Amino acid sequence: MLEIQNLHANVEQKEILKGLNLKIKAGEVHAIMGPNGSGKSTLSQVLAGNEAYGVTKGQMTYQDKDLLDMSTEERAREGIFLAFQYPVEIPGVSNLQFMRTAINNIRQHRGLDEMNAAEFMKQAKTTIQQVNLDPSFLKRGVNEGFSGGEKKRNEIMQMLMLEPKLAILDETDSGLDIDALKVVADGVNALRSPDRAIIMITHYQRLLDYIVPDYVHVLSNGQIIKSGGKELALELEEKGYGWLGIADEETA
Amino acid sequence: MTVLSNIDFAIQASKDLGAELQNFSKANLEKLKSVNIPTRKTESWKYSAKRLKMSEAYPEFASSKPVGEIENSYLVDAHVIVVSNNIVCLNKLGETDLTIKSFSDLNEAQSLQVINGAIAQSSNYEFSVANAAYLQNGLYINVPKNTHVDKPIRLVFQQIEEGVSFPRIFFNVESGASVTIIEEIQIQASDDSLALVNSVCDINIEANAKAQYLRMNLDGGKSKHIGATGINLHRDARFESYHLALGSELARHDLLVKMLGSGAECQLNGVCITQDKQHYANHTVVEHIAPNCTSDETYRCIADNESQIVFNGRIHIHPDAQKTLGSMSNRNLLLSSKAEIDSKPELEIYADDVKCAHGSTIGQLDETELYYLTTRGISHEQAKLMLTLGFVLEVVHATPIEAIAEFWEQRLSELLSFEI
Repeated sequence: MLEIQNLHANVEQKEILKGLNLKIKAGEVHAIMGPNGSGKSTLSQVLAGNEAYGVTKGQMTYQDKDLLDMSTEERAREGIFLAFQYPVEIPGVSNLQFMRTAINNIRQHRGLDEMNAAEFMKQAKTTIQQVNLDPSFLKRGVNEGFSGGEKKRNEIMQMLMLEPKLAILDETDSGLDIDALKVVADGVNALRSPDRAIIMITHYQRLLDYIVPDYVHVLSNGQIIKSGGKELALELEEKGYGWLGIADEETA
Repeated sequence: MTVLSNIDFAIQASKDLGAELQNFSKANLEKLKSVNIPTRKTESWKYSAKRLKMSEAYPEFASSKPVGEIENSYLVDAHVIVVSNNIVCLNKLGETDLTIKSFSDLNEAQSLQVINGAIAQSSNYEFSVANAAYLQNGLYINVPKNTHVDKPIRLVFQQIEEGVSFPRIFFNVESGASVTIIEEIQIQASDDSLALVNSVCDINIEANAKAQYLRMNLDGGKSKHIGATGINLHRDARFESYHLALGSELARHDLLVKMLGSGAECQLNGVCITQDKQHYANHTVVEHIAPNCTSDETYRCIADNESQIVFNGRIHIHPDAQKTLGSMSNRNLLLSSKAEIDSKPELEIYADDVKCAHGSTIGQLDETELYYLTTRGISHEQAKLMLTLGFVLEVVHATPIEAIAEFWEQRLSELLSFEI
């Protein structure tokens, strides 16, 4: 589904990713771990198409298409979804209006009819219960005045509504209490299917107790330095990043 | 002012009024003689003066014409009052407890109410002075004590054909009463560049009473409109205003709120959008005279193309106005590199135990917000439209009459989607 080869990317003239390789097949769940500053968030932003990040070298192929040729919205319409580490607040644009516009853009791209207001409301109400948010959040401005945990649940809600093929979760577990973490994990597990892939970027092993990955990768200094099965995360938890000869904090 | 110096007309105009109002009008005519036509050196007209072009443009005062059809762009069940070229027409006025009289029918006490509540008492308002000087007639509306007016009162200031008109309305809201007022300007002239409406609406809000005031300036075109609203707020009284405005050749609104009694509150909201070469100037002044009062002001403006918007907001806290809470926020969005927004917040504070905050920003759309929307499959153009609309809809949605909020949302999305 996704193949990344020798990816080099920079932000503000500073090289962050330095030759990253990654291959993900449909149906797989990959966890990417690594210390702060190793390039985890840069990878997620580059995949989603953030123009503030420049790709200087390498290739990204998604469903046999060159991802670098696709605009941010095209990537989303083709099924890439990024759950943001820090979702932005957009006062004045309601969550409902936002999600309905997004869904209908994506449906149109897939050759489906627009979802009418009643159908949409029904689905939105079911989904918001699934992520344990009060339905009143639908009418509020996008993330406006939401707590950190509520913002993350709103990201999961969007993910469930938009039904992506490749979901990237950028530290969605950070700062969550156990209850909220379970909500997020249930959402992700509900999305797991043979034709979808999930990338979980995380700093902590805790999330992986609830969403069991097929593969775990360790990112350090802009490269994947070690890959393994789910046991790699446990080993890391026990021994720390020092075990792999890397510091807990990296200045990229 | 030279152009508005048809003294014979002015004296003739007020002949039907009682002695008090005739004297008031004459005093303002005297005042007017010493007022110069504002130029760019007149501080309060710095950004708008070049739009005035007062020289030969208005040969005549708007003559009496039959009242035109009013345009209904939204459906609200209201008491309708039309002032058309200074002729008052009461339209669809249901049964009410209101006292509605023309200025020529007022007794002495009522005339004094009008005079004491007049924004023209402050000579900073050249055009309100002119309005008083050329006073032909006006409308006096009294809301009796502890009465809640069941339906909004909708005022339409209409000008048929060219010329200058001077509509004037005075409201007295007695203690414990509440009322919602809608004010609209509609110009129907074959050459609207020769139409100038100089309107005044004064509202005196007695103790513990409340007035909501929705003011819509939708006219656009080449017409000029200079309007003023003067508010006197007494003890524990409350005033809320919602200004929804589009620009025109020259559109200006002066809002003066005087906090005269302890515990009074006002909330001033404004949304203003200009396009092409339009101009809109908002000038607000909140005079905190009594202690323990609260004022809160939010204006959002969007200027596109080569248009210009002015926001000049002033909070003046007098020495006795301790424990004042004042806040003023003006955020602006420029959609084009040739558009101009001049934001000028002014705080003048003479009391030492007050909280007063103001903020003003001028900017473009936020890139991170745009990016967030596009990561959900929304096109760049649509995302821009959503953010631009969202910027003003926050304030539009605060409007207490839902039909008007919806009408505005519709109107603004049409305007902006055409532009973006």
